[in-house]
Amino acid sequence: MSMGKFKKYLSVVAVLAAVALVVTGCGASTTTTTGGGTSTGPVSVTIGIGAPITQGATALGLGMERGAKLAITDMNASAEAKAAGITFTSTTGDDQGDPKTGVNVANQFASNPNLVGVMGHLNSGVSIPASAVYSRANIVMISPASTNPALTLQGLKNVFRVCTIDSVQGPAAADRATGDLGKKAVFIVDDSTPYGTGLADEFGKEFTAKGGKVLGREKTGDKDTDFKALVTKIKATNPDLVYYGGVYNAGALLSKQLKDGGVKVPMMGGDGLYDGQYIKLAGAANAEGDFATSVGLPLAQLPAGEKFTTEFKAAYPNDEIAAYDAYSYDAATVIMKAVLVAAGKVTAAKVTSPEGRAAIISAVAATNYTGITGAIAFDAKGDTTNKAITLYVVKGGVWIPFVK
Amino acid sequence: MALDTLMQQMVNGITLGGMYALIALGYTLVYGIMLMINFAHSEMFMAGAYVGLFTLTGLTNPKLVGSGTVAFLTKNGIGLVLLFTIVFLIAGVAIGLLGVIIERTAYRPLRNAPRLAPLISAIGVSIFLQNAVLLWVDSKALPFPQVFPIVNIKIFGNASISTLQIFILVSVVLILIVLDTFVSKTRIGKAMRATSQDRDAAGLMGVNINTVIALAFFIGPALGAVAGIFNGMYYGTVNWNMGFLPGIKSFTAAVIGGIGNLRGAMLGGFVLGIIESLAAGFLATGYKDVVAFVILILVLIFRPGGLLGESVVEKV
Repeated sequence: MSMGKFKKYLSVVAVLAAVALVVTGCGASTTTTTGGGTSTGPVSVTIGIGAPITQGATALGLGMERGAKLAITDMNASAEAKAAGITFTSTTGDDQGDPKTGVNVANQFASNPNLVGVMGHLNSGVSIPASAVYSRANIVMISPASTNPALTLQGLKNVFRVCTIDSVQGPAAADRATGDLGKKAVFIVDDSTPYGTGLADEFGKEFTAKGGKVLGREKTGDKDTDFKALVTKIKATNPDLVYYGGVYNAGALLSKQLKDGGVKVPMMGGDGLYDGQYIKLAGAANAEGDFATSVGLPLAQLPAGEKFTTEFKAAYPNDEIAAYDAYSYDAATVIMKAVLVAAGKVTAAKVTSPEGRAAIISAVAATNYTGITGAIAFDAKGDTTNKAITLYVVKGGVWIPFVK
Repeated sequence: MALDTLMQQMVNGITLGGMYALIALGYTLVYGIMLMINFAHSEMFMAGAYVGLFTLTGLTNPKLVGSGTVAFLTKNGIGLVLLFTIVFLIAGVAIGLLGVIIERTAYRPLRNAPRLAPLISAIGVSIFLQNAVLLWVDSKALPFPQVFPIVNIKIFGNASISTLQIFILVSVVLILIVLDTFVSKTRIGKAMRATSQDRDAAGLMGVNINTVIALAFFIGPALGAVAGIFNGMYYGTVNWNMGFLPGIKSFTAAVIGGIGNLRGAMLGGFVLGIIESLAAGFLATGYKDVVAFVILILVLIFRPGGLLGESVVEKV
C-alpha cells in the first residue's frame, strides 16, 4: 500500500470512528433524556445470546440464536413492549462450546452497559463458569439447554434454566432402557465434559439400581474422532446397549465406528445427541435404532408447537428446528417479560441500572408463564418445574418419539 | 487379554499409524530441506479432505455427471478404482499447488529472516486457512459419503480387518515405497538430499534450490491431502478444525522417528499409532495421549535425535 493510499485509508477509518462515537453517544443520551422524563422514543436494551456458533455443537448453538432472535422480533411487535417503551436487540457471543471462550464472552456481556440479561449457554461446562461472571455483574442468565445439576447448586440468585436437569434425564433414560427396551448390560462412555460425565453417572447409577449391569466405563475427549480402539474394547464385553454421555459431534462418530466395528447394538444418549446432524454424521444406516432422551415434550404434542413451527418456517425457510430453538425462544421471552415488569417498577430508562437488574432477577424468579415448551416456573434453585423427558429413536433417518 | 483383541488393536493401530506416517512425511520433508516446522501442514490435511469430499460428491451427483456415470463409478470395481484415483489425484494436485503457493507467498520472502519469522508466518497461514473454510464452507462438520464398500474380513478369532483398512494400508505402504525410491534413487531426489545437507553448497553445485523447495512443498501437502481423504473415509466426517489433533500427533511422530529423516517419519507414525491403540485398548481411552507423549519424552531423553535421526553435533 502506498503512502498516499494509506493516508486515505486512515482518514476513512477516522471518519468511521467519529461516526461510531456520535452514534453511540446519541444512544446514551437518548437513554438519559428518557430517564429525565422527556420521552424521545423507546429505550433500546440488549439481550446477550451465548452459544457455540463456530465450534462445538454448532447445530444446537445456531438453533439457540434463531430461537432467541425470533422471540425478540415477536416481543418488539407486541403491545406490551410498545406500551413499556422498550425495544429489544440482541448480541451474539460465540462461546465455541469452550469454557475459557465462554468466560471471555461472559466478560464482554457483563461490560455491556445496555445488557439486560443473557440467554445462554448451551454446554454445562460453559454455563457454570460463565454464570459466576454474570452473578458478579448481577445479570440474569437463563440457559435453555445446560442440564448438569451443578449449575443451579452454586447458590447464585441470577441463574435459571428452562430445561430439565440430568438428575432427572439420566435416571429417566435408564428406566426406559431397562424397562421398555429390556436392556440388561450396558457399556458407558462419556466425553469428559461436566455435561457428559454428569449424565453418564446418573444413567449408570439408575441402570444398576434397576438390576442392569454396567460392563465398563470409559472417558473420551469431546473433540476425539478416533474410537476404533475403544470399539474393540467394547466389542469384547458384548453389551446389549452402549450409553454415550456427550454431544452429537463425537457421539455420531462413535456410533458409526461401533457399527463399522461390528458392535450391532443401539447407542443411547441424552439431549446432546438429539439433532439431525447426529444422523447425518453417523450415516442414516448406522444411526438407525439409536436412542436419545431430550428435555420436555415433542413440539408436535405441545399446544403452541404448531404455531411456533409455522412461524419458524416463515422466518428460517432453510433450517430445521433443532433441540433448543423453542427453549431459547422461551428463555429469551422470560427475560424480556421480566424486563418489562422491571421497567414498570424502576422506569424503562433504568432497567440496566443496578436496581433495574435486581428487579429483572426477582421478576424472572417469579415467572409464571406458558411458553412454547409448556408452563414455565422456577423453583428456589432456579430450575424449571417442568420435568418432562421424552425418549426419541432414529427411524428411517429421522428422530421420532419412541413408542413401545 | 484375549489374543484376538490384541490383534484387533494392532490392526486399528497400524491403520491409524499409516495416516500419521503420511502426515508426518510432510513435516519431515519440509524440515529436512528448510529447517522449518510448517505449522500450516495440518491445514493441508484438512483442506485435502474438503477437496476430496467435494470431488467425490461432485462425481457421485447424478445432476452433475449423469446417473449412468454415477452408476458406473460406484457400482463396479473398475469404476470405484477410477473414481478414487480421480478423487485422490485432484485433491493431491490441488493441495500440492496450494502448498507451493503458500511457500511462494508466506515463506520465501522470509527465507533469510530469523527462524522464528517463518514459524509465525506458518501459524498465520494455518489460522487463515481454518477461517477461510469456516466462513466459506460451513462451521458444522460435514458427513463424508460412504462410497467405498466396507466389508469386515475375519483374520483371527474375533479379530477382523475391513476392506477400507486394507485399502488405506496398501496405499500408504505403496506411497512410502515410491517416495523412498524417489528420494534415494532419482536425480531430483539426490538434489533434495543435497539441499537438505547444505543448502548453500548445493546451490553452488548447480542445484536449483527454489525448485527443490517448491517440490518439497508440493509433495508434503499432497501427501497430507491424501491422509485427509483417508481420514474422512475412515471416520466419516470432515470439519474445519479437524487438522489440529492429527497435526500435533503427526508432528510428534516425525520427532519420535527423527525429524528430517523420511524413514524415521514413517516409523514414528506407525509406532505412535500402535502405542495409542494399545494404550486405549489395554489401559483406558483417556490414557492414550498420556502414553503417547510419555514415549515421546523417553525418546527425546535417550535418543534426542529421534529413533532414526542422527545426533547432530552443534555447529559452532
